[in-house]
Amino acid sequence: MPLSVSLSIEGDTTVIELAGELDADTAPDFHQTIEKAAGHGTRTIEIRMAGVAYMASAGLRSLVFAQQKVADHVTIKVVGAIEPVSRTIRTAGLDRSIVLDG
Amino acid sequence: MPSTTVMVLGDHPPPPGALLDALRSMDAEVVGATLAELLSCPVELLPAADVLLAPAEVPGASVREAVRRLRRWAGAPIVVVWTVADFAALEDHVRLGHDYLVPPFLPALVSARLLSCSERAELGRTLREADARAALMSYEKELEIGREIQAGFLPEALPVPDGWEIDVLFRPARQVAGDFYDVFELVHRRRLALVVADVCDKGVGSALFMALIRSLLRHTAEQSGLQHLVAAGRAGSSRRIPVVGATPLLNAVTATNGYLTRNHLRQGYFATLFFGVLDPATGSLVYINGGHNPPLLLDADGGLPVALDVTGPAVGVLPDCVYTLGYAQLNPGDTLFVFTDGVPEARCPDGSFLGDARMLDLLALPPSAPPRTGRDVLDVVDTAVRRHTGKAEQHDDVTMLALHRPRAARGPHAGRRAVA
Repeated sequence: MPLSVSLSIEGDTTVIELAGELDADTAPDFHQTIEKAAGHGTRTIEIRMAGVAYMASAGLRSLVFAQQKVADHVTIKVVGAIEPVSRTIRTAGLDRSIVLDG
Repeated sequence: MPSTTVMVLGDHPPPPGALLDALRSMDAEVVGATLAELLSCPVELLPAADVLLAPAEVPGASVREAVRRLRRWAGAPIVVVWTVADFAALEDHVRLGHDYLVPPFLPALVSARLLSCSERAELGRTLREADARAALMSYEKELEIGREIQAGFLPEALPVPDGWEIDVLFRPARQVAGDFYDVFELVHRRRLALVVADVCDKGVGSALFMALIRSLLRHTAEQSGLQHLVAAGRAGSSRRIPVVGATPLLNAVTATNGYLTRNHLRQGYFATLFFGVLDPATGSLVYINGGHNPPLLLDADGGLPVALDVTGPAVGVLPDCVYTLGYAQLNPGDTLFVFTDGVPEARCPDGSFLGDARMLDLLALPPSAPPRTGRDVLDVVDTAVRRHTGKAEQHDDVTMLALHRPRAARGPHAGRRAVA
């Protein structure tokens, strides 16, 4: 299942909206978008994941990668993830470095 | 079907009637195009041809550029340039390696020339395909070598203490894997280390990190423990908590996490892992679950499996994080089932997952059921995974390890329940 990725800026927040499945095949698209988002220099990057039905470990790696790409003062938020996806993030302990919201 | 396709360039001057007659008389499909079209239209719309027939009056460099674009899509045609008067222009083309036709345009001569060019084009295509196949075979060979080397990072044989059974199932999704397992002895064979881990993502990158993480864990654990065994021995401790195994365990996981976050954080690779240290004499287990799917402790008497929840984050993500220790006890008949996410996330052809709930159903034992070994557990789960996956592609590595303490065995501290 493909992943659709969109990128926009709302005030001081760069919004990445994902829909579909985030796995080894689709994560490279997300990586590219993260690099673009990091270039925007906003204080917050909000990743909207309500439309993500499944996230494999390659998707977790994307989040770690995102953390590395942005400056220290930038907050990365994951918003709207469904329970299995947010559980995957929490189990790996990534909720300690990114803000997991909703 | 014509054996040859000739693309006739419609640029000025137009081809003489004799040349067109000769083309019509041979077994060839003729397509028209202009140089401007060949240079500007999207490559995926470019027509395919064996031979590109062009007037000598069009610049050689432009024809060469057009051929370059054609090569990217449908393969390069052989260029044949014709003229009736401009022999100087023809010479320029010949220097670029283009073939040529000059009057008289007799059908037999034209046909022979174009067919020989068409054969050259075919030969060129065959050679390119052979090159591509050879390149692919060479990649596959490299991957196969990678697979063999990686197999060397898994234990050759499992050291199984008396009174215990260990069974493993390891089925990578690709030639090289991100999953791994390890079983090795610690502190003069008084403790047994069991590791099941899953390096994030797939493919060669994960495989390289698997080799690194496995080595760091094992090396650190093996190098740190003896002094603490001595210390614990002097203290004459009677605690059931196996502090002896706890030190190499904590050292291995924190040192590996420290190394990865100091040196490799930018690459974003990390591993979820379960690392347990068993005291084979007592059945007590001390463990760290670093962001891994909770292993399930299956009681000999059935009932719901007990999940050994995470005690810290995945390894390689957070610098300076704290791992706490978890403790569990395996009594006679009990089984510890450790697995990677390839098990609950096995997918059937329509995309649905096997799921955690189904796994628990499979493992919950009715009270009347006959005793179950670790091998039985692996078989039950593996059968379910294979049935569920069916004809779908295996998406993720599948790794399972079952540590079982048979009922018959009685060590010096053999459990709280009497066995009939």
